[in-house]
Amino acid sequence: MIRGSIATLSAVIARSTRDKAIQSSLLASGLPRRFAPRNDGERMPRSAALLCCALLLPLLIADASLHHALAQNPFGAPKGVPDSQVGGIIGWLLAKQSEFYRAISATIRAAKSDGSAVWTLLGISFLYGIFHAAGPGHGKAVISSYLVANEETARRGIVLSFVSALMQSLVAVLIVGIGAWLLNVTARTMCSTERVVEIASYGLIAAFGARLVWIKGRGFLRALRPSLASAGPQLAVAHATAHAHSHGHAHGHDDHQHRHDHGRAQAHAHTAHAEAHAHAPVDAHGHGHHHAHDEHCDHCGHSHGPTPDQLAGPGGWTRGLSAVLTVGIRPCSGAILVLVFALAQGLFWAGIAATFVMGLGTAITVATIAVIAVSAKGLALRLVGSRDGSGALIMRGIELGAAAIVLVFGVGLLLGYLGTEPVRCF
Amino acid sequence: MNNVIRRLIGLFTLLAVSFGGIAAAIAHPHVFVAARSEMLYAPDGTITGVRHAWTFDDMFSTYALQGLASKTPGIYTREDLAPLAQTNVESLKEYAFFTFAKADGKKQRFNDPVDYYLEKTDTGLTLHFTLPFKAPFSTKQLVLEVYDPSYFIDFSLEKTDPIKLVGAPASCKMGIQRPSDGGAAKAQTMNEDTFMNGDNSNFGAMFANKVTVDCP
Repeated sequence: MIRGSIATLSAVIARSTRDKAIQSSLLASGLPRRFAPRNDGERMPRSAALLCCALLLPLLIADASLHHALAQNPFGAPKGVPDSQVGGIIGWLLAKQSEFYRAISATIRAAKSDGSAVWTLLGISFLYGIFHAAGPGHGKAVISSYLVANEETARRGIVLSFVSALMQSLVAVLIVGIGAWLLNVTARTMCSTERVVEIASYGLIAAFGARLVWIKGRGFLRALRPSLASAGPQLAVAHATAHAHSHGHAHGHDDHQHRHDHGRAQAHAHTAHAEAHAHAPVDAHGHGHHHAHDEHCDHCGHSHGPTPDQLAGPGGWTRGLSAVLTVGIRPCSGAILVLVFALAQGLFWAGIAATFVMGLGTAITVATIAVIAVSAKGLALRLVGSRDGSGALIMRGIELGAAAIVLVFGVGLLLGYLGTEPVRCF
Repeated sequence: MNNVIRRLIGLFTLLAVSFGGIAAAIAHPHVFVAARSEMLYAPDGTITGVRHAWTFDDMFSTYALQGLASKTPGIYTREDLAPLAQTNVESLKEYAFFTFAKADGKKQRFNDPVDYYLEKTDTGLTLHFTLPFKAPFSTKQLVLEVYDPSYFIDFSLEKTDPIKLVGAPASCKMGIQRPSDGGAAKAQTMNEDTFMNGDNSNFGAMFANKVTVDCP
């Protein structure tokens, strides 16, 4: 399975190299600039950077797997031998975030007698937020998938990440503020509240995903129809060619020269066809760009707004709000623990400050991943779609896939199959 | 046409595996437990149960005490904590008490906990409870693992004398395997399957504390 996917990826990469060669030669041949990809010079290093990001994910996995292979049977190692502490990037992340988490409680205690420790607390909370958010939850997958499913810009991805992280912090403060501070309920009660909120959040994610799948599924089908229609004539052409060939063969039996000519003519036609073929997508690409550019300016200034057929309703922000809401209402268990702990030490305000700073760190991680996801979509589109004119279909396919991820995620979380970080009340 | 769809499927498989793998890989604990356990043997040499003493970290200990009434403010007696202990052991059942026992490779089940209570010390809240096996048994090799499969809780054995054999035949030998200090750093013990099947339900197993008792 994996190997197949990687093969797909390399095929895609190889393709893009070919595309670039064609594009460059077209540029060299003095084609009007409009038909050539814009800012080719800038694009190449950027796509190289994107490629690195795309390759980072499998690498992360390979990294950990390799570590396993290299550190066989760590339990059985004799005591004197220092166990290799490097667990790769993942092990390091885990170690760091555990370290920060445990430092938080110590620092809050210290802050009781030494006010300056609050600054240390904020610093640690910030770092903890960054590392912690790399783990499951915190809406990375949902926000990223949402961004990919929709025509969203990286800039908006960043804003959505920050708003949802802020909301997560706010919900945590509200739960502890009302539950523990005002009503003085037990941890058990608060935990049950957390669970209810959690289930509500999962339900919202599933509903949100279902809605996206519905919208994107229709978009995909719409894109699929013209492709199917165009596949028809192609088949007809192939059939005609075969027919012509048998015809030529019958005729050219006694005329060698004619047959040779015919062969050459065919070769020539083929070249011409190849040229035309190469030409067409670039043209289409240029046109596509141009079109997108128009839309960009006409409708929405700098932010990529919704295309009219995607969703009714004015302004894309209300739409983004539903994404924020689905992930934002579920607070992080870590934040709740920190808040209750701070409250017990009589430093609730420090806990609140730490929670928001933690949220800031979380937002940075989520935003980074969201930006990578959005960029990866653009990259995939350029790599896969720019050659044979199937760009629109690929685009809709990616969007539908992303929408499906949100749905599967929501349902999986709801049914408990994906309890990556379930709230445990005991 | 088919080509396009195949490519899309490939792309998403890659994405899904990456997501699954990374999500699994970076699950992280919110509760830290320092565990001390006793293996209980009957006079006839059969194993009857396991007695745990789990000390929660400072943060969670404080959290667990939130909203609990005590006769003297700030001082929690065993009686004050009795309702919480009751809740604890009842809830732990859902998670199989995070205790997994195998006798000669065969899984052993536990009855509901007995003799449970909570104790508040300076280091934190300690939950004491005894898990009796469904039926006492004798075995050549007993393997006991303590861990949270979802890794919400990080279990680590106490540094000194974490495991005691109580009333075991003299010939029994005990071995302890830890995921080493700060189990969190041990992600490399993950095997490839953990990643590739995207199944993180047993992610915590690699941070398991494993006790082996061999009685030839």
